Amino acid sequence: MSTEPDKYDLQGCAQLQQEEWEILESIHPDCLSRDSSSGFIRLEVPVELAESTCVTIQTGQVDPESSYHPGPSCPKALSLASLPPILLDISLPPTYPYTPPQIQTIRATYSWLRFDDSELRDYLGRKWEKGEGVLYTWVECIRSGQFLDELQLTQAENGRRTIRIHHPMPGLIKPVLESYNASTQAARFSQNSYECEVCLTSIKGARCVMLLCGHVFCRSCLEDFWKLCIKEGDVGRVGCPDPGCVKEQREANEEEVRRVVTEEEVLRWKWLRAKRAVEKDPTVVHCPMAQCQTPVPRAPNVEEGSPYERLRTCPECGFSFCAYCKHAWHGPVATCPISATKAILTEYMALPEGSAERKQLETLYGRVALQKLVDQYEHEKKFREWLAQRMGTPCPGCDLPVEKASGCNHMTCVRCQQHYCYRCGAKLDKIHPYKHFSTPGIRCFQRLFDEHIDIDEWQPVEGFNVI
Amino acid sequence: MDARLRRVNKEIADCKNDKQSSVTIDLVDESPFHLIGSFDGPEGTPYEGGRFQVDIVIPDNYPFQPVKMKFITKVYHPNVSSASGAICLDILKDAWSPVLTLKSTLISLQSLLCSPEPRDPQDAEVAKHYMTSKSSFEDTARYWTMIYAGGPGKEGLGKGAKGGPRDEIAMAGLDRAHVAQFEALGFDRAKVIDVLRRLNYRGANVANINDDRVVEELLK
Repeated sequence: MSTEPDKYDLQGCAQLQQEEWEILESIHPDCLSRDSSSGFIRLEVPVELAESTCVTIQTGQVDPESSYHPGPSCPKALSLASLPPILLDISLPPTYPYTPPQIQTIRATYSWLRFDDSELRDYLGRKWEKGEGVLYTWVECIRSGQFLDELQLTQAENGRRTIRIHHPMPGLIKPVLESYNASTQAARFSQNSYECEVCLTSIKGARCVMLLCGHVFCRSCLEDFWKLCIKEGDVGRVGCPDPGCVKEQREANEEEVRRVVTEEEVLRWKWLRAKRAVEKDPTVVHCPMAQCQTPVPRAPNVEEGSPYERLRTCPECGFSFCAYCKHAWHGPVATCPISATKAILTEYMALPEGSAERKQLETLYGRVALQKLVDQYEHEKKFREWLAQRMGTPCPGCDLPVEKASGCNHMTCVRCQQHYCYRCGAKLDKIHPYKHFSTPGIRCFQRLFDEHIDIDEWQPVEGFNVI
Repeated sequence: MDARLRRVNKEIADCKNDKQSSVTIDLVDESPFHLIGSFDGPEGTPYEGGRFQVDIVIPDNYPFQPVKMKFITKVYHPNVSSASGAICLDILKDAWSPVLTLKSTLISLQSLLCSPEPRDPQDAEVAKHYMTSKSSFEDTARYWTMIYAGGPGKEGLGKGAKGGPRDEIAMAGLDRAHVAQFEALGFDRAKVIDVLRRLNYRGANVANINDDRVVEELLK
């Protein structure tokens, strides 16, 4: 093998080159192209990583021209299973494999990797051994991502290999890498075969669906399953058919459902979900607009007991209303018309404490708010009782309750200026109010004063006459 | 065209080819949608040695709807109705998954025999018995296995179900002395067994049941 180059049997070399090429072509048919007349070879080798390898993109360091993009290096982490191909243009001298192959250019598709190519040339060059074909080794070095180790772009983090890429514009290269990764993943998925556990048949990936949980089923089984559930209104079962996922009640999201069933069924599925949500959510009040009637739940993040618990804004027609009185929103301070709160309160108070119905009202209107209403009611009731006990007749003109500490029974209302009798509540004539007390036959005759204490006080003190 | 038929045929074939497990599936008549499954009672349980048969009906929307199963063989178990053989098991209801097969479901039934769930009973009387006295419950379950499932019975001598009349007291999981006590009052034996079984007159629970209460029930 190791004789002088000019002594090489060129025909033998050509044969070795041909054999190497054929082997390479049978293993990696997608990576190769060749211009046989000129002896130029192009290798286009994608980088295949372990499933979901972490790749970060950083600015700086590599290209001095990029120094006018200053700022802190911003690592962007991606989880990828493949990187776009590395392109190698190689010329094979007629004496290869006894003389080394010449690497003309070496670069990355989409320029996702910028490197000092002499470093990589040297690295690949060292792999060549006199008389041995090196192309397969090169392809493997690149395909496995081994060359990234050589370029010191990898590091082990928590026992997992992560890759750091330097690129002046991470924001530009990131979507490129992602979409390349997605398309190779999709291609891999559609080429593989999967055992559908529903029809118990092995099916090509192109006719399968991988759900977000990672379980794969054939499209037609999923379609049959979900169509049936949607038809029967069993919306909770529209999800992954795997027993574990069923137990966890993992439901499919809109993206997944759209991939499997028709638009019409998607609409029904959404409608069913909305309906279920309404039936589940006890805070829902229907929009009072006659033509709308959309269910409106309580807004999230409203503090319990806040007056805003009553506020509902219809997502459909935009009407803001009070959940208590169903009137247009009257602000957090103003109270609802009495009739509305009274109806709620009466219903609430009629239910036994701790009952499920009571709880339902509490979730609908807010427990604290209802408690306030009850307190207010109790307070008012007590006050009225107290009034009835302590107070005399309220003003017959304006109903203002009045407590009389002393004085005569002729009252003049401070609010409406009505004259009235404190004893019987009769309205008195403004000009001759005392007639009521001086006319014989009227029940308040001679009762302008009727407090015994007052009368007692006017009794002469014993022994007064003596003085 | 019929995905259901294809799948069921596949399942029946798979089960036939599997010589390892004790689970078998057989046709009842021509239809592949009405089947009988059977499996061995699990080892280390009162059901050991018995062979249990299950009636299987494949619904129209199988496998998207759960298969209908109930025990043909009578089983003394809190989650199986002692009268009808109806089964209380989540995967036969809301936890059903289209991925489950006839075989895996039958295996689930087998493991249900290993681990009763008396708090979610199908047969309340049996569940009460289980909670009151596990050992007495196991004796009864073993006796039922012997009588109905061809099990070896308490003595383990393989007397089988054929020989001798059935012992109704053992069937009900009751104490002979208790039955005799009320029978002596002049009540019919079958009636005494029925009442004591309903009242769960077993183990520690006996102390909670007044004799008057039993007599009252007997007189009804």
